[in-house]
Amino acid sequence: MDITKYKFTREHEWICLESNNVGKVGLTYYAQSHLGDIVFLDLPEPGGKVEQFGKLGEVESVKAVSDVLSPASGVIMESNQAAIDEPGLVNKDPYGDGWLVKLKLDNLAELDALMNKSDYDEFMRQCEESSEQE
Amino acid sequence: MKVLKETPFNKWHHDLHARMGDFAGWELPMWYTSILEEHRTVRNAAGMFDVSDMGRVWVTGNKAGAFLSGVLTKNAEQLRVGSAQLSLTCLEDGGILDDLLIYRLDIDEYLIVWNAGNAEQKLNWLAHWLEPNMEVAIEDKTHDTTMLAIQGPDVCQMETLKELRRLPRFGVTKTRIQGLSAYVARTGYTGEDGFEIIADVPTGLSLWQLFIENGVMPCGLGARDILRLEAGMFLYGQDIDTSTNPFEAGLGWLVDLEHDDFVGKSALLEIRHNGISRKLVGFQMKGRGIARSGYPIISSGQEVGRVTSGGYSPTLNANIGLGYVPIDISSIGTNFEIVVRDRPVLAEVVGKRFYKKGG
Repeated sequence: MDITKYKFTREHEWICLESNNVGKVGLTYYAQSHLGDIVFLDLPEPGGKVEQFGKLGEVESVKAVSDVLSPASGVIMESNQAAIDEPGLVNKDPYGDGWLVKLKLDNLAELDALMNKSDYDEFMRQCEESSEQE
Repeated sequence: MKVLKETPFNKWHHDLHARMGDFAGWELPMWYTSILEEHRTVRNAAGMFDVSDMGRVWVTGNKAGAFLSGVLTKNAEQLRVGSAQLSLTCLEDGGILDDLLIYRLDIDEYLIVWNAGNAEQKLNWLAHWLEPNMEVAIEDKTHDTTMLAIQGPDVCQMETLKELRRLPRFGVTKTRIQGLSAYVARTGYTGEDGFEIIADVPTGLSLWQLFIENGVMPCGLGARDILRLEAGMFLYGQDIDTSTNPFEAGLGWLVDLEHDDFVGKSALLEIRHNGISRKLVGFQMKGRGIARSGYPIISSGQEVGRVTSGGYSPTLNANIGLGYVPIDISSIGTNFEIVVRDRPVLAEVVGKRFYKKGG
């Protein structure tokens, strides 16, 4: 797991390419820590199509339901059964065992619209500041 | 900008980096570390909740009992000194204005502990029924006192509280805990053994420190909400409110229609006579999905009710909830569906006490 290779959305999802055009998708550490204990995942079946920034699935913490948006367009290859069975994996290891789906990407160029690690760190810092000012 | 009320513990909640939220106009901790961990602590060890938002109203005078019997659904005069009981206050039409605990501290001294919501309206409503010649004083001390709930199987094992083990369930006493003077009641809202402790502000702050030193873990409202739901306890404003009556909520046992006239009695007599058309039931999800407050309940394709409380139960490792449904689909074992964001998910009626201590 080399997090510098991950790309990030403004909605706190990540994607990491595993091969030419297949990427793993998950939630960031920031996302899971703000949701709190995750107790339910609703993820699409393999074969389902998603659009970039379209709804991929839902994640529920004890208190709230959130949509998971897809970092890229493509076809679902697999959803993480271990995380469906034990949603707490997303809290414990959001960048590793707590991944959500594997996606076959339609268009690699879409990833250029995402943030790299250092951009995301800066973005996250701004998120923290604005939430403290609330 | 909405300014939230703060309890005397507010700074400490922030110091502990609690995730704070708005509960009935009060800024209170939703969780400190993890809702699931705090839930587990209360079920298996000892947890502490700041419940200083709850209204604490002293009603005193030699006619205090008679006055309270006229506004509550149970006879307050029959309550023994040193005891507490659950009770309701209803509107003239029988709708539930609040559920509360009434403590008889002395012959002429009662304490009402009710929910934080609509505090001012409820006080005005109470005063409205007071007759000038009654010589009964109503005094809201919510802002002059603190209230802590310490709950869990280890609470009574604490050396500091060993004197209090003799206090019966629903008993209340004025006592000293390591020299700190407080009212202590063997009550709670979690389904576990424990105490609720009311004290003046400096004493309350000292008690918090004392319990922390004794290994009691601060817990937030997130855990409290699951604990009470598992124990089949209702949340006012969700499961019961002025549009629900005690009989359909399954709270008929809190209504004593034998005692003298009280507000709502004639309406409640009529409701009992005519029978109810819907009932608050417990349900467990059979399909995948978490029911949450407000989700529609459907039967034979028709919406028949709404979920009032729902969530994931760590104790049962199941998704559970409460909701009002027509009488004909309210018996245990009946199936209906809950619409979880456009998707109907099967649920089955089960007993409302999802969790009962010791089995």
